Amino acid sequence: MPFVKEGVIEILLLSVAAGLAGTWIVLRGLSFYSHGVGTASFPGLVLADGLGFSAAIGAFGMAAVFTALSALISRSRRTGADSVTALVLVTCLAAGVILASDVFGSGAGVDSLLFGSLLAIGPADQLLAAIAAVVALVSTRLFSAHWLARGFDQESAPSLRSGSTWFDLALLAVVAFTVTAALSAVGALLVVALIVVPAATVRLVTRRVQTMQTGAVALAAVEGILGLWLSVKTDAPPGATVAVVSGLVFALVLATRNLRRSRAAAFAITVLGLALAIAGCGDGRAGEGDGRITVVATTTQVADLVAEVGGDRVEVTGILRPNTDPHEYEPRPSDVEAVGDAAIIFRNGGDIDQWIETLVDESGSEAETVDLGAGLPVRISGGHVHRTGSGSDVPAGGTTAGGADEAGDTDPHWWHDPVNAGAAVATIRSSLSGIDPEGRSGYRADASAMSRRLNSLDASIARCFAAIPPNRRRIVTEHDNFGYFADRYGIRVVGTVIPALTTEAQPSAGDLAELERTIEDENVEAVFSETSAPDDLSHAVATDTGVTDGGPLYGDSLGDSGTAASSYIGMMRENSDRIMRGVSGEMRGCEVE
Amino acid sequence: MIDAIFEPLSYGITLRALAEITLIGIVSGAIGCWIVLYELSYSAESLAHGLFPGLVAAALIGAPLLLGGAVGILIAAILVVVAGRMAGESPDTAIAVVITSLFGAGVLMALSPDSPAGLQGLLFGDLLGTTVTDILVAAVIGSAVLVALWLLHERLLAVGFDPGSGPALGVPVGVLNLILLGLVATTILVAVQGLGNLLVAAILVGPAAAARLLTRRVWPMMLAAGAVAVTAGVAGIYASYYLKTAAGASVVIALVLCYLLAAAAAQLRDRTAAVRH
Repeated sequence: MPFVKEGVIEILLLSVAAGLAGTWIVLRGLSFYSHGVGTASFPGLVLADGLGFSAAIGAFGMAAVFTALSALISRSRRTGADSVTALVLVTCLAAGVILASDVFGSGAGVDSLLFGSLLAIGPADQLLAAIAAVVALVSTRLFSAHWLARGFDQESAPSLRSGSTWFDLALLAVVAFTVTAALSAVGALLVVALIVVPAATVRLVTRRVQTMQTGAVALAAVEGILGLWLSVKTDAPPGATVAVVSGLVFALVLATRNLRRSRAAAFAITVLGLALAIAGCGDGRAGEGDGRITVVATTTQVADLVAEVGGDRVEVTGILRPNTDPHEYEPRPSDVEAVGDAAIIFRNGGDIDQWIETLVDESGSEAETVDLGAGLPVRISGGHVHRTGSGSDVPAGGTTAGGADEAGDTDPHWWHDPVNAGAAVATIRSSLSGIDPEGRSGYRADASAMSRRLNSLDASIARCFAAIPPNRRRIVTEHDNFGYFADRYGIRVVGTVIPALTTEAQPSAGDLAELERTIEDENVEAVFSETSAPDDLSHAVATDTGVTDGGPLYGDSLGDSGTAASSYIGMMRENSDRIMRGVSGEMRGCEVE
Repeated sequence: MIDAIFEPLSYGITLRALAEITLIGIVSGAIGCWIVLYELSYSAESLAHGLFPGLVAAALIGAPLLLGGAVGILIAAILVVVAGRMAGESPDTAIAVVITSLFGAGVLMALSPDSPAGLQGLLFGDLLGTTVTDILVAAVIGSAVLVALWLLHERLLAVGFDPGSGPALGVPVGVLNLILLGLVATTILVAVQGLGNLLVAAILVGPAAAARLLTRRVWPMMLAAGAVAVTAGVAGIYASYYLKTAAGASVVIALVLCYLLAAAAAQLRDRTAAVRH
């Protein structure tokens, strides 16, 4: 498998920088700083996404800012190094939240940038890791004596304060560079596992610096490769597996070393760690080829539409599962394998599943990627919800066809309009027929059956809402992702609770107050939350304004298997029923046959 | 002018947010001083991630999520202290090891098809989404934390300023560290539900760090930290109301500005003192 080879090369390159930097991090008490540098990349990613430059530049830029601020503040006053790191970190994150929520209105694409993966490593990532290795080697060779002297000088409070010198700044820069280079491999939350944990483990058995460095480099490489191998065996995300493996090795070494002193505690840690590891290793996905055409679909709703058209002739692997949060997607080995083996790939388009591009590149896939969002009959531009003003209601069945030319601004949640789903079905049929001409007639039959069901679904929903006067079809949703549904059925989404689509977005008190005024002025009937997000904000708005709390809608994904919303049609039925109940004051639902 | 002060108060959302930030602000003013003195900022920022595996485990066996999160975060706190002591390492290294391992384990456990989506979001609230229940829980648990801190005050003081004095005074240092980190974990568990992770980390560290610039004595430091937390909290919410900026993030920025003000004040005071001498 080529993607595993790329991952191994990345680990080997990274382990040099990780082992060297990790040793200095442990000796100088810089763990929190290294965690902070990784996590603080968020505003850099938001800026990169909003202004259109590369994510790596955003991350490195933020790392530089973080390092400079930490050094600056810790130099001037007598605040502890850990407090300085915390303050700089929360400042960066708060700036990121404000940028994402109030300046750019960032989409979901920002979130996936926070999650790197060893399974999607490209030449650029490896080049960065190689540069980090050279930087760490050269700087250790040059500055070792200085870094060491200060490390042992202030053993009680190893920190970067009290007369921070240029050497200290150099050390911070090396750590920051290493962490940022590792981000694309393991993501912000687990990067510490790759860098700090191996060095901390080696430190348990030796205090000699050179032995520590050699040992940490070797251990980082071994743990990384072991984690990657285990993740391929058990089909788990490699980043999390590497973290658990490193933690277990640390616990085992610690237990062995302290066996006589406190046997019980050591065993407790080991057993707990093993239990957690076993608990995590359960779920492997089978599904070998049986002569059927293998197809990959990115989102749950695209997977369902493809399965409807393909019938028994195709084997559909949906990459996002209903129970994974699409904003926190980290690929598993079977996902990359499925993409590599796929005869054809269907994607939703837009920043909802932008990550598929990396997976296709790194899996060595030759398959065509069909962007279902590319040729749709109905398009609206993103961010079309207006919180103020009381313009005329969109007529039933009306569409806003503008904005189609500005590809970047198209709202990617097109599937909420059954007309678009019908067009997607037609595209899926012709694409499948193209690669599998023998199945042509079967695809045609299944596609027309699906089109008929979509038509009757559309007609039923339209009939439901026709019974409600247009001036009562006014709702508030959690995110701005029901524009297509609203346009199709003459519903007006008067406002949204959360200003942007990234999970980091936060509303402002002023906007929510204005939203509550609008709800009262325009007689909005119901406020809806979303299945994949916490509902406390929409609940609060509904309670304060006294309108119906319409409960959760399926905004980004289908429901779990076993629920009524586990298929596209079922999901549309559930959403229509809930919105109908909301706008009719719980008087009537929407029965869709 | 008067209207500008009272207008935001006519909204339940801002009113509840103000109540929650005031309560949490007072508690974190007190416990934040120990966090700063014991150099536990990393724990304050990262322990919240430790509740993730507990949350997933609770969802898988059908136990109440809050209970799972509580068990998870307390186990994390215990492991941090135990691993740190056994390894003879700084708490920072211990928390790096423990939290990444636990978080990784949580991610693996969440792969189970029985685990619902967006679990972590269920316990991480938003300042403006604070419920009356959140406020009541914060009041009860917050008072318990304050009482515990008051009872432990002398011992925390002795060990905090001279770790070697613990055994001499008959205070088991390990147990004391464990209790303190347990209290920090409890505060985080309660506060993240109302405020979210980012704001909790900021309010636990920021006010105390600012207060420490102004005074070295612990009681005045706690009072000053509480005052800074509440002032910045209120200022941030008003800024979020009038400037329409993200609420939690606005409070964080207000907290940081307070710290910078305190730093400037301390600098000025030192300079005046130097001139007089």
